Amino acid sequence: MLDTAIQIDNVHVDYPIAGQAARSVLDGISLQIESGEFVAIVGETGCGKSTLLRLILGEEKPTRGRLLVNGCERWQPDRHCGYVPQKYSLFPDKTVLDNVTFGPEVTAFGAWSGLRWIRPLQMRRFREEALRYLRHTGLDESDARKYPYQLSGGMQQRVAIAQALIMKPPILLMDEAFSALDPATRTGMQRLIKKLWRESGATVVFVTHNTREAVCLGTRVIALAKNGDENRGSSIALDLGVPDLDFDSEEIDIGKLVREVDRATVRERPLVYN
Amino acid sequence: MSFLRIHAQPGRTAIWTLSWSLFAVGLILYFYAAQQRHRENPDDRVMPTIAQMVRGFSDAALKPAAEEEVQAASGSSLLARFRTSMLWTDTLASGRRFLISVALLFPAVLLGLHMAMFPVIGAFFLRFILFFDKIVALSLLPILFIAFGIDELSKIMLIVIGVTPTIILDTFNLTKSVPREQIVKGFTLGASDFSITYRIVFKQIWPRVLNSIRLNLKAVMLFLFAGEMIASTDGLAYRIALLRRHMGMDTIIPYVLWVALLLFLVDFAMNKLNHKLHPWFQER
Repeated sequence: MLDTAIQIDNVHVDYPIAGQAARSVLDGISLQIESGEFVAIVGETGCGKSTLLRLILGEEKPTRGRLLVNGCERWQPDRHCGYVPQKYSLFPDKTVLDNVTFGPEVTAFGAWSGLRWIRPLQMRRFREEALRYLRHTGLDESDARKYPYQLSGGMQQRVAIAQALIMKPPILLMDEAFSALDPATRTGMQRLIKKLWRESGATVVFVTHNTREAVCLGTRVIALAKNGDENRGSSIALDLGVPDLDFDSEEIDIGKLVREVDRATVRERPLVYN
Repeated sequence: MSFLRIHAQPGRTAIWTLSWSLFAVGLILYFYAAQQRHRENPDDRVMPTIAQMVRGFSDAALKPAAEEEVQAASGSSLLARFRTSMLWTDTLASGRRFLISVALLFPAVLLGLHMAMFPVIGAFFLRFILFFDKIVALSLLPILFIAFGIDELSKIMLIVIGVTPTIILDTFNLTKSVPREQIVKGFTLGASDFSITYRIVFKQIWPRVLNSIRLNLKAVMLFLFAGEMIASTDGLAYRIALLRRHMGMDTIIPYVLWVALLLFLVDFAMNKLNHKLHPWFQER
């Protein structure tokens, strides 16, 4: 039996607006994500996908309701959840290698991580591990000395994935991580993340506005729909179990699934498929 | 007129010529006007000729500042004479005050950083600093002279009071402009508040803070000159104020150019050093 990685019970998020009624972004979302699942969250712009991700990260608190990650409430982001955002995913002042070793360094040395040169053996181990992760994500050693601005968007996201995975987080949160990439690079990155997910066994929550990407990647697709009432936020429109697809699979009509999810995201009333 | 279009691509020679042309025009106009004035009045002291300025500057740069050094300096090398000169002693006096003031800006940088990173510190200081920033520093000059006397401290305090709020607020804004994703990413990689503040945010804003300090060097000099002109017995501004009484334009103008040259060199060196130390930093 699977453990519950993320438990969301009747979560509401309202943003106060001066002189007006609070604007609801999420309106009573309930959701359970099991360990090892690859959950894709899809929906139109402004429907609350990123808000839901920030709640899981611990970057935001729900106005009402309860959200547990590995059975605990979240107070702030920590290393139990890896994070790959769409932009600003790398530290611009650090080389690729330093970006990837940053996590292990601060974890091992704490506040004294600036004095890493006094522990050369441990640093060498971190560097070797970082290089292994970089190779795993399709980069080679010659890229390790480059700064982020010297890399293409796709390469930057590969580094960001290596940077997150080296911490071996039980949960990996990705916020429109491939949205800024060209179609060919995007497909390559989708295959890569799926492969890494299968190997690591981590729980992945992948936010995207691209329904096809959600259907191809997720073992489950959560579609958020905007509520008809302007002052009420999104509710889960569709919680659809999707077989673990290969990208070239012909067993399932991906187009049909995409259309089904798309239809659900524009419905006014919540639909729950089990 | 294609060379005036947005897409114009001037060559290296054209850029070099254009960038120096205003200097050349300025010099030509000055010396033409100076010659005209001297033709009408050979004793004119308002616009010295190039020969007068060279003589005035060499007197300032090569003649000893103090009477007792005249004997010692006679017959010694140019460098030795320069080191006992009025220009050198004034430059040293102003330079010392300038360096102390710039060093005192570092705590301001740290305060701005912490105000932006830690909401409680921000809430405690921000309103006060915003108000303090609006106080015209020169209006505090009499108070500073009364409170700290007319020694070094009052002049340095004037610079600190004049420039510190700008640096604090600049650092605050630079820190706030670091994308939130970077801070969240730091937490998810196991970094503490301290590591995020110093290893992620401070390292990213530091080249920009150095640029901000560079852009405020002129303000530092402005307050330094105000203090030196009013109450000092040495320094570049003291000398300019002193020479003004004797209409010593043949030395004042070279002094002003000397100060501009020094500031330009400091600015140039800081810019070069900034890019050398931070190869990832792309802004100019």
